[in-house]
Amino acid sequence: MSGFAEWARAATDPAAAGGKPEALAGVGVLEFGSGHFGGMVAASILAEFGADVIKVEPPGGEALRRVAPGGISRAGTGLPFLSEARNRRFVTLAADRAEGRALFRRLAEGADVIVSSEPERDQDAAGIGYLSLRRDHPRLIYLSLSTYGSFGPDAHRPVRDCDLLCQALSGAPYIVGEPEDGDTAPRPHQAPTRLGNWHGAFVQGLWGAFGVLSALRFREGSGKGQFVDIAGAEALMQFTDYNITWMHTAGKARARLGNFDPAVFPYTYIRCRDGHTFIAAYNDEAFDSLMRIIGRPELARDPRFATPAARVRLENEKALLEILEEWSAVRTADEILNAVEGYTSRQSGPAAAVVTGRVNRPLETLGEENWRERGCFVRTELPVYGETVLAAPPWKMSGTPARWKSGCKPPGADNRDVYMGDLGMPEEEFARLQASGAI
Amino acid sequence: MSSEGASSGKFRDFAEEAFALPAIPAKPEALAGVRVLEVATRIFGPATADYLGVFGAEVIKVELPGRGDLMRYVAPEGFFWKDVSPAFLALNRNKLHVGLDLHAPEGVELFLRLAEVSDVVVENLRAGTMDEWGAGYLQLRERNPGIVYAANSGFGQWGPYAAGRASYDATAQAVSGFSAITGFPDQPPLKAGFWVGDYTGALMSAIAILAALRARSETGQGQLIDLSQAEAMIRALDWTWPYAAQCGQDRRRAGSLDPSYLPSGIYRCADGFVAISARDEEERVRLARALGAARPAGEGDAAPEHVAAFAASRTREELVRWAEASGFSAAPVRGGREQYGDPHLRARGTVCEVTDPLYGRIDEFGPAPKLSRSPGRVKSSAKPVGWHNDRVFGELLGLSPAERDELTRKRVIGTWADLPGARPPKVADEP
Repeated sequence: MSGFAEWARAATDPAAAGGKPEALAGVGVLEFGSGHFGGMVAASILAEFGADVIKVEPPGGEALRRVAPGGISRAGTGLPFLSEARNRRFVTLAADRAEGRALFRRLAEGADVIVSSEPERDQDAAGIGYLSLRRDHPRLIYLSLSTYGSFGPDAHRPVRDCDLLCQALSGAPYIVGEPEDGDTAPRPHQAPTRLGNWHGAFVQGLWGAFGVLSALRFREGSGKGQFVDIAGAEALMQFTDYNITWMHTAGKARARLGNFDPAVFPYTYIRCRDGHTFIAAYNDEAFDSLMRIIGRPELARDPRFATPAARVRLENEKALLEILEEWSAVRTADEILNAVEGYTSRQSGPAAAVVTGRVNRPLETLGEENWRERGCFVRTELPVYGETVLAAPPWKMSGTPARWKSGCKPPGADNRDVYMGDLGMPEEEFARLQASGAI
Repeated sequence: MSSEGASSGKFRDFAEEAFALPAIPAKPEALAGVRVLEVATRIFGPATADYLGVFGAEVIKVELPGRGDLMRYVAPEGFFWKDVSPAFLALNRNKLHVGLDLHAPEGVELFLRLAEVSDVVVENLRAGTMDEWGAGYLQLRERNPGIVYAANSGFGQWGPYAAGRASYDATAQAVSGFSAITGFPDQPPLKAGFWVGDYTGALMSAIAILAALRARSETGQGQLIDLSQAEAMIRALDWTWPYAAQCGQDRRRAGSLDPSYLPSGIYRCADGFVAISARDEEERVRLARALGAARPAGEGDAAPEHVAAFAASRTREELVRWAEASGFSAAPVRGGREQYGDPHLRARGTVCEVTDPLYGRIDEFGPAPKLSRSPGRVKSSAKPVGWHNDRVFGELLGLSPAERDELTRKRVIGTWADLPGARPPKVADEP
């Protein structure tokens, strides 16, 4: 390890994060909404940086707890909820009742940020929306998450926001997956394809956290809160490359090309002896390097492949993929990595830009030493829910590291702590609200 | 409780006024006063800085004189518009472009002087490269202890894979497990056809920078942020990890169905594709009922094959209206052409018109988060290599014209090579 790497490890190893200060210490976040993954992500990200997050659920727990792919759940809670329910306190209140709403307003008074994934028109109608809460709380930052956003011609559309709708509208599936052949009837996989995880909802949550942090920065100087509006469709849309600039300048839209790419090649998955691996070498110097690595240096001067523009013609991409797979099919992903690194370590600058990486199955990723050493996974024994493995916060930071502190708890697990501790509610009132079913 | 109609009208009025596009240029910017130095190429680092720049940070993009960022030559179908690639434009808004060679000791010294008057550094070189050049976090903090330094990389700044291993978007898609769970069960793992492994990491990096700036407001101290794009993708894979740990097997690729919400999925229809969604039992029951009502056989069944059969002969518009009338959710699958012309996205400034002094009108994606008081905005487009050298080295660092000429002669600073992608347009449009 270089001196810098040694220093960086000592300074940022997540194993040593405990006890260091937190970036968002003192920021209170109230999370409200049911059945919404993106809202949980936004709150989790803030919580990983140290915000004090209180998640509000209806008595009995919110709808996302009951989502259980493959029928797998732990003590009544499915794995999606379990994966994102971290670093927060869990309270219940019945927002469909006046005393529940009154309680919500009391919690909101103490919060810097509200993360809401319920339609804002409903929140407003119930008297617990932004306009009502900001009256006594001008510093409040209010994040609203939905499919289409809170304003604009489609804002009224009556959808229940979720990952799938956001993905569909984002433009991502449109350019992910295999194209149709043209001659034969399309096969099922020759269609716009979902990103397999809830990437639409996840990115919606990330942009939500970004918006909140920007608003907190503005509040530092101005003392003023504001409304932050996120349309989940637009969140992932930001990631669809040059969709708009290409339309504007050339009138062209991206299409589905499967493993091929309209702007860079080779930039593709190739078959290898033990599965698939990624290979890229798209600038001229890197392409020359790759052709030497596979023992075909003459191809760098082949007119089909000699320039970036020639390499991205679809028929040339197909021809080149065949050539690459002749070489890769008899090698393992690790042998390919060694061949690439052996060559590029003697190059510098653009000639070294040959890039590879094995297409791992999740269990293979879980088994890799690099991620274990870097603390990418949390292996923990949760009270109630038992042993599990979760993704850790990805940031390694020397001053105020993000960190995993606690996992999922049952609905209302922190009622007493929050209502009596934070709000100073007397025991009798707490008991009465409990008995009436308001909490 | 107030009456619903009056109240939601009040919110609609508020939102229309609070987010009106014509008012944005006169509003303050959330990240005003934050100066960011970008030493990055292609996507991961440039997108990080772009996100900060769109919310008001001043971004100085440092490129190698001559060819600059190699992303300049990533051009869809080899197409350049006014000698700039539309793929480069989308990642480099609101930036000042300087040409500065960090291989030269005088270049490093100039960079350190820039860092003294900056708040943030974003880089995405191979781990340890900046340190070798004498321009890494440890050297920078000597000159500016408040500097927030985001080191974006493939595999991290330390650990078994840190040394020398390069990474692109699809490296992160591949090694994280993302591609293994994307695609159809009877087909190979699928590489997403856009650079999702870069943008996801870039947004996470920008988030950590904002968190670190908040910490700095309290302590005055900056810090190192080490972010691996593969680790960013690992974090995004929701129930993949507890499932693998509990079942000892990998979740299967589910094609275009969402296995958490069956029969939710993307379905082929008469004029394209549509997403049909039932997020909870209520929506599922309504979907089943609607299918039953549509099939003479009687009771509805919400199995994917029934949804598919129903959707096949109908248009996207018909299916969305059917969902709205029946009480479940649907949305069309859209691509870039529809986004470009979409009145909703235009009204929200998510697709926006930029008037650039060099290129004229260029439409772009506007900011994703809409902030009512301090909104993001696209003020200008990307520029040729070194376009702002005089402004940055002259006005900001106070180098005299003679000093700048000398540094140019030594090739420490410089401008564009005479190549499409790097150079200004031959004839600039009237703004």
